[in-house]
Formats: sequence, structure tokens, C-alpha cells
Amino acid sequence: MARLRFPLIVAVALFLTGLALTAALKDRHYMLLSLLLLGAALLPVFLRLERRKLESRELVLLAVLSAIAAVSRIPFAALPSVKPVSALVILSAYVFGAEAGFIIGAVAALVSNIYFGQGPWTPWQMFAWGMAGLSAGWLRNSWWMKKRGGMLLFGFLWGFLFGWIMNIWYIISLPEAFSWGLVMTAYASSFYFDLAHALSNVFFLAILAGGWTGVLQRFRRKYGLLQD
Amino acid sequence: MSSGFRAMHPAVGLLYYAGLLLFAALITHPLFLITELAGLILLLLLQGQGRQLLRGLPFYLLMAGSVAVLNPLFSHRGAHILFYLWDQPITLEAVLYGLIMMLVLLTIFLLFISYNYTVTTDKFMYAFAAAAPKTALLTLMAIRFVPLFQRRLREITLIQRFRGIDVGEGSLRKRMRDGMTLLKVLLTWSLEEALQTGDSMKARGYGIRRRSTYSIYKMDWLDKAVLLLLGLSGLIPLILWLQGYGAFEIYPRMKPLVFGSGEAVMYISFCLFVLIPPGLEGKEIWLWRSSRRKAYPSVTPEPNGTRSMSSPLR
Repeated sequence: MARLRFPLIVAVALFLTGLALTAALKDRHYMLLSLLLLGAALLPVFLRLERRKLESRELVLLAVLSAIAAVSRIPFAALPSVKPVSALVILSAYVFGAEAGFIIGAVAALVSNIYFGQGPWTPWQMFAWGMAGLSAGWLRNSWWMKKRGGMLLFGFLWGFLFGWIMNIWYIISLPEAFSWGLVMTAYASSFYFDLAHALSNVFFLAILAGGWTGVLQRFRRKYGLLQD
Repeated sequence: MSSGFRAMHPAVGLLYYAGLLLFAALITHPLFLITELAGLILLLLLQGQGRQLLRGLPFYLLMAGSVAVLNPLFSHRGAHILFYLWDQPITLEAVLYGLIMMLVLLTIFLLFISYNYTVTTDKFMYAFAAAAPKTALLTLMAIRFVPLFQRRLREITLIQRFRGIDVGEGSLRKRMRDGMTLLKVLLTWSLEEALQTGDSMKARGYGIRRRSTYSIYKMDWLDKAVLLLLGLSGLIPLILWLQGYGAFEIYPRMKPLVFGSGEAVMYISFCLFVLIPPGLEGKEIWLWRSSRRKAYPSVTPEPNGTRSMSSPLR
């Protein structure tokens, strides 16, 4: 069974791709295709994680940072858009780089949704937080990201970007009605939630920026973690 | 208690929910969608998830309902114009399409309530542990850390309160700084200890060879039979759908719903697929009730039939 598993997964993936393409071309039904594309977007980073030689210390480090990001979401469950996850993912990516940031964001989304309920939104959240980490890791050496103001602005922007990515899975169910009007309506209706998320990002980044990155950088140097 | 469909092998649950998701995303025929929705509600009620369903319902109805409203407002294609709203034609086709999409979204939402109950994360991880061992290990460790960190944070808060570090008191600036201190203590403590765990993993030989996986799930004959039945009854509608049966065309012009012999075969097979798990759950409830009525003395062996995670016949 274990030997058969890999070909089986490939076969199922090909079959699903075929079905999704048929549905998209024949009925203009894009839901399945969008899910598959998301899966394809998540795949490369996780494949690299599987392939690369990873010290057990680094694996544990990634698990701790994802878990802390996931835990931080629980006390704020009552407030709909206040999610410290984004801030923590951005800060972790700032210290440990793009790839680690993507994995921390995606795993934090998956793990925190055990408490909040898995749903069709889980892969979208994994993607959105993963991308927040990835972009923070890419930009960590730019001069403005090193400034406090630049990082706060980055967090603010990601508050909105996160909401916009999450709106896609909703818009995609109405391919016939797709127009700028619909997009504007969807984005306008989520504006206050996105704004709350953006402001809470700025708030958490402002509190955590100095001390948190300091602790992480010290650990990174002391144990020689994820240095490339 | 875990019994019935929930106690089966993870592959069964994964196949069932993946199949339902696939059907919801592919077959837009209203009869199929309503059947799937009804089957899911039945399954949720049999699994005792009625309260969960009621709690989430307002949110789900709001999300799905807004799709039904938005579609006719922004899509004006279609031949049957019902009326004009702000000089924009509202067409019958757009209203129907919106309603169908509402059904699709509702189905997906309900599907995930049942999924969350049946396929818990450890089962999901088991299914992927062999294909992606590092990711699975990483995720499982993170899942295990969540309750641990919550407990630790509570401990830290209690202890630091004696030093006057308390997020509940003082000016906003002080409270923010205190919250930051608490989190930093948690981070340092957890990282320091977790890295020791990592070293101990390495000392015990992690990473030398391929990670072996241990599973507590064994496939018995019932699992295999249900898996086979689900696979067959799920494949028939899929193949027929690829042949073009069960299509419901709304745009650009609504076509009358056809229900010929192809659709009949497809529908019967589809019903079988949807109703197997509710049937299994129903059987458990029925067995439980009849066994209570008979009231077995403790020495009499009970008839083999009730399935649960801990029953010795697995």
C-alpha cells in the first residue's frame, strides 16, 4: 500500500485536473479548478521542505513558531478580524526567510482551524498567510523593511491583501456575474473587516517588532538555525 | 462516543467527503444538489451534530444567500426578463443560477461540519503521513504544542502577576508592554525547550533513515466493502457526467430539465453513494436501541455488530 501511494496520488491528481478543466470549459464552473490551482500553489514549497535536508532542530523551530501563531488567534476569537497570526508570520519570515515564512503561515492556518473549524476557506487561508510570510521573507533585506515604519506599512497592506485573497473564493462561484461592479461590491462589503485586520496588524507589529525579532535572531545565531 | 461511520478507517471518510465535494462542484442539477443536501442533514442529525448545524446556520445562510442575491443584480444574461430594477433587467436565468450556487455553497458548508466531526485532524494526517512525512510531523508537533502553550501562558501570567506584570491593570502603554513581556517569556521558554527536543530527536536517530509510520487504523472487511461500494457508486455518476448526462444548462438560455434513463441510473447510484454513511449511522442507533431493550446480562456475549473505536473485534 505504501509503495502504491505515490502513483495513486499522482493518478488521482491527474484525474481531478481533467475533471476540473472539463467543468471549467464546459459549464464555466470554476470552483474545482480554483481549489486545484491553490493546491498547486501550495505544493512547491512543501515539496522543497520534503526534499531538503532539514535538521531536527529546524523542524521543531518551525513547529514552535507555527504553534505560537496558531495559539495567538485563540484569545481574539470573539473579534472577527483581529488575527495576530499575520503579524507573527511576518516577523518570523523577517528573521528566518521566505520559505520558512510560507511554511509557518500555512501550517498556522491549518492548525488554528482545528479550533475554528476547517472549511472551504482553509486552503485559501493557508495560501494567504503563506504568501504573507513569503513576501516578508523576500523583502526582508530591503532598506524600508528594516525601518519600523516600513514594516508597519507592510503589515497594514497585508491586512487588506489577506481580505482580498479571501474574497476570491466567494467571487469565483459567480462566473456569469463577474464584473468590476461585483468585485467592487464584494470588496466594499469586506472593507471594514479588512481595515480592522490591517489596523490590528499594525498594532501587533508595533508591540512585537523590536523584542520579538531580537529573541528570534538570538536563537538563530546561537543554534545556527536555517542559515543559508 | 465514536462509533458507526466515524469509527471506520480514515480512507472511507476521506473518500466520502472528497466525493461529495466533487459532486457539489460538478453536478449542478438541482435534484442532485437537493438530494446531497438532504443526505448531509440526515447524516449530521444521526451523528448528533444538530446543535452544531443550528449554530453555524445564520452565517452559512448569510454567505450563501448573498450569492443568490448578487448574481441577478450583476448578471443580466438570459431570455426571460422578470422585471426591471433600476433600469437593469432581472432575468429568470440569473435568479435560478444564483439559487443553484446558493445550494452548492450550503452543501459545501454542511459537508465541512460533518467532515470536522468524522475526519479529525489525526486521521487526515495519517492519510498523508506516508506521502509527506516531514510536513505531517511538523503539523502534528504544532498541533501538540497548541494546548501546551496555552497552559504555559496561563502559568506565566500567574507568576508574572506577582512582579506587577499584568495585562489587566495600568495604562494602555504599560499593558501593551506587559503583554509583550508575557509573550516573550513564552517564546523563549518554548523555543529553548523545543530545541532540546530537537537535539534529543537527533540523538535517537531522527533523519538517518526514512521515517517509519505507525498507524492505529486497520482495514477490516467492512471498511473494504464500504470503500468498494462507495468507489463504485461514486464512479458511475462521474462517468455519466463526463458523457454529458445530468447537465443543467441555464445560460445563455434555460433548457428544460431532462430526466431520462441515463439520469435515472446516475441518480440511483448517486443516492446510494450519499446514503451509505447515514445508513451505517442509522444501523448503529438501531442496534443500540434494540440491545438496550433486550438488556443483556453481563456474562452473555453481545452479538457482534456494534462498531466502536475500542471494540476488540477491530
